[in-house]
Amino acid sequence: MKLSRLLALFAAFVLLFAPELALAAADQAAAVLEGAPKPSRLDYPMIGGVSGRTVVWSAAQMHLFLAAFVLAVPLFAIATEFMSVVTGDDRYDSMAREFMKITMAAYSLTALVGGGLLLSLLVFYPHLMGYMVKVFRGQMLIYAMLFGLESITLYVYFYSWDALRRGNRKWYHMSIGLLLNTVGLTLMFIANAWVSFMMSPAGVDPTGAVTGTVWEATRNPLWNPLNLHRFLANIAYGGAIVGGYAAYMFLAEKDPEKKAHYDWMGYTSNFIAILGFIPLPFAGYWLMAEIYAYSQQMGITAMGGILAWLFIIQAVLIGTIMLAANYYLWSGLMRTDRGAEYAKYVKYIAVVVVGGFLVWLTPHTLILTANEIQNLGGTHHKILGPLGIMPAKNTAVNLMLVMTFLSFQLFYRSSRIPTVSWAKSGNMIVVALYVVGITNIVSAGIYGYITPTVYKVGASVPQVVSTLTIIIGSVLIDVFRLRGSKPEKVYWGRMTNRSQYALFVLPVAFTWLMGLMGYIRSSLRTNWHVYTIMKDNSPENYIPTLGDAGNVITAITLGFMAIMVFVFWLSRLGQTKQKGTEDAA
Amino acid sequence: MLGNKWLVFVVALVVWVAVFYFIDKSIMEGQGLPVGADLMPV
Repeated sequence: MKLSRLLALFAAFVLLFAPELALAAADQAAAVLEGAPKPSRLDYPMIGGVSGRTVVWSAAQMHLFLAAFVLAVPLFAIATEFMSVVTGDDRYDSMAREFMKITMAAYSLTALVGGGLLLSLLVFYPHLMGYMVKVFRGQMLIYAMLFGLESITLYVYFYSWDALRRGNRKWYHMSIGLLLNTVGLTLMFIANAWVSFMMSPAGVDPTGAVTGTVWEATRNPLWNPLNLHRFLANIAYGGAIVGGYAAYMFLAEKDPEKKAHYDWMGYTSNFIAILGFIPLPFAGYWLMAEIYAYSQQMGITAMGGILAWLFIIQAVLIGTIMLAANYYLWSGLMRTDRGAEYAKYVKYIAVVVVGGFLVWLTPHTLILTANEIQNLGGTHHKILGPLGIMPAKNTAVNLMLVMTFLSFQLFYRSSRIPTVSWAKSGNMIVVALYVVGITNIVSAGIYGYITPTVYKVGASVPQVVSTLTIIIGSVLIDVFRLRGSKPEKVYWGRMTNRSQYALFVLPVAFTWLMGLMGYIRSSLRTNWHVYTIMKDNSPENYIPTLGDAGNVITAITLGFMAIMVFVFWLSRLGQTKQKGTEDAA
Repeated sequence: MLGNKWLVFVVALVVWVAVFYFIDKSIMEGQGLPVGADLMPV
C-alpha cells in the first residue's frame, strides 16, 4: 500500500472519531473533581449463591502465584545464562534453558487466570473497577501493551535459544532476555501501584476525586516497600518452584546421569531460593514499618488485631521453610567425601534453627479461658511471654538466617581444599566474625528489653546489618582463602530421596505463606475498597473468621500445587520419546 | 603466615568487636537515637 493511501486512511479515521475523542476528553475534564463512587449494597451483582469475594480472591491469588513464578524465572535464567558465558560451562546454559521451559508451560496459564481475574472483577466489582480506571487512566492501556510485549519477548527469548547460542549471537540473546526482564518487572511495578493505591491512596482528595497525576497515584506511600518485597519474594518463590521441579525429576528419573543433572539443578534452585529469602524478612519489616507510618490503625489491625494470629502461622511456615532448606543442605554434605568432616557441626546448627523456630512461633497474647488466666496469674506467661515480643523474634530470625548461610558455607567448603598458606588463620578470622556478629545480634535483642520502644525498634537495624556483615564478610574472606584451591570431587546425584521431599516442601510452604500474607495485606483495608476513600458496601465487606480464611487459602494453595504438578508432568512429557522412534527421527 | 591461629583469633575478635561497635553506634545515631540516653528508668 502506498504511503499517500495510508495517510488518507489515517485522515479519514481522525475525522470519523475526532468528535468522539474530543467529547471523551471533555467528559474526563468534567469528571475530574467527582469523588469516588458510593455503591449501595444493591449495586453489587449477585449471581446465584456465588460468593464474589471468594471468586475474585481465588483468581487474584492464583494469578499472583503464576505471575510471580513466570516473572522470577527469566530473572535467574538470564543470570544463569550469563554464568555460562563467564565460566564457559555449557551446563549452566542448558539449565537456564530448562528453567525457561517450565516457565513456558506456565505462561499461558498465567494469562488465562489473569483474564479470569479481570472478568470476575468487572462482574462482581464494576464500580471499583470504574474508579480505578479513572485514577490510573492510560496506564492500564500501557499495562496491556506491555503484556503483549512480554509475550513476544518471552517467546523470542525461548525459541531463539539454539539459534543464538554461540559467539556474539549469545549477547543478542541475552539482550532479548534483558528486555524481557525489564518489561516483566515494569508490569509487576504497575500492578503493585494499583494494589498499593488501594491501601494508601495518593493523588486524590479525601472524597476520592482525582486531583493529581497518574504518577502521583502510582508513587503512593506503600508502592516501593511493596515493590522490593515482591521482587525478592518472587526470586525466592521462583527458585523454590524450580527446585520442586528438579526434585520431581530426580525422583522420577532412573538414569544416574540425569539424576546427577537434576540434583545439581535442585542445589542451584535451592541456592537461588535462599538468596532471595535471606533479605526478605528485612523487606517485610520495612513494608510493615511503612504501613504503621502511613496508618497506625492499619498497622495495629495487622500486628495486634484479628490478623495478628496469622503471623504465628506465618512463623510456622517460615520455620518450615528454614528447616526444610537446612535439612536439604545438610543432606548435601554427603555429595563429597570431605562432607563428613563438617557433618559434626550440623547438630549445633539444628539446635539454633529449631530454637529460633520455637521462639518465633511463641505468641505474646494467649487465647485463654477465665480459669486458665487465673491459673497463669495473668494473660501473659511469665517465662514464655517475653519471647512473644519483637526483640526476641528479631533475634531468632537473624540467627536462623545466619545458620542457614553457615549450612551453605559448609557444603561449599567441603568441595574445596584451600592451598593458601594462611588458610587456618583465615578460618579463625571467619570464626571470630561469626562469634562477634552473633553476640551482637543477641545483645541487641536483650537491649530491646531494657530500653524504650523507640530504641527497641531502632535496635533491629543493627541486628539486620550484623547478619549481612557476617554473610558478606565471610564470603569475601572465603573468596581469597579458597583462591587456587584444589577442587574436591562432588558426586552429584548422591542424595537420598528424603532430601528431595525436603526440596519439595519449599514450594508448598512458600505458596501457602504467600497466600496467607497476601490475604493479610488485602484484609488490612478492612471494609474499604480504597482505604478511607471508597467504602466496600457489598454483603461480604467483613473480615472472615480465621478458620474460613485458612480454608480458602489452603484450597487455593492445593489448586496451585495441582497446576504445578501438571506443569512438571507436561515438561517431562515433552522430553519423553516413544520407544523405537528415536532412530527413525 | 599470619602466625599462631589462636593469636589471630584473639586479634580478629578485638577488631570485629570494634567494627560492630562502630556499625551499631553509627546506625543508632543515624536514626536520631544517641546511645547513653536510652536505658529505661529503673
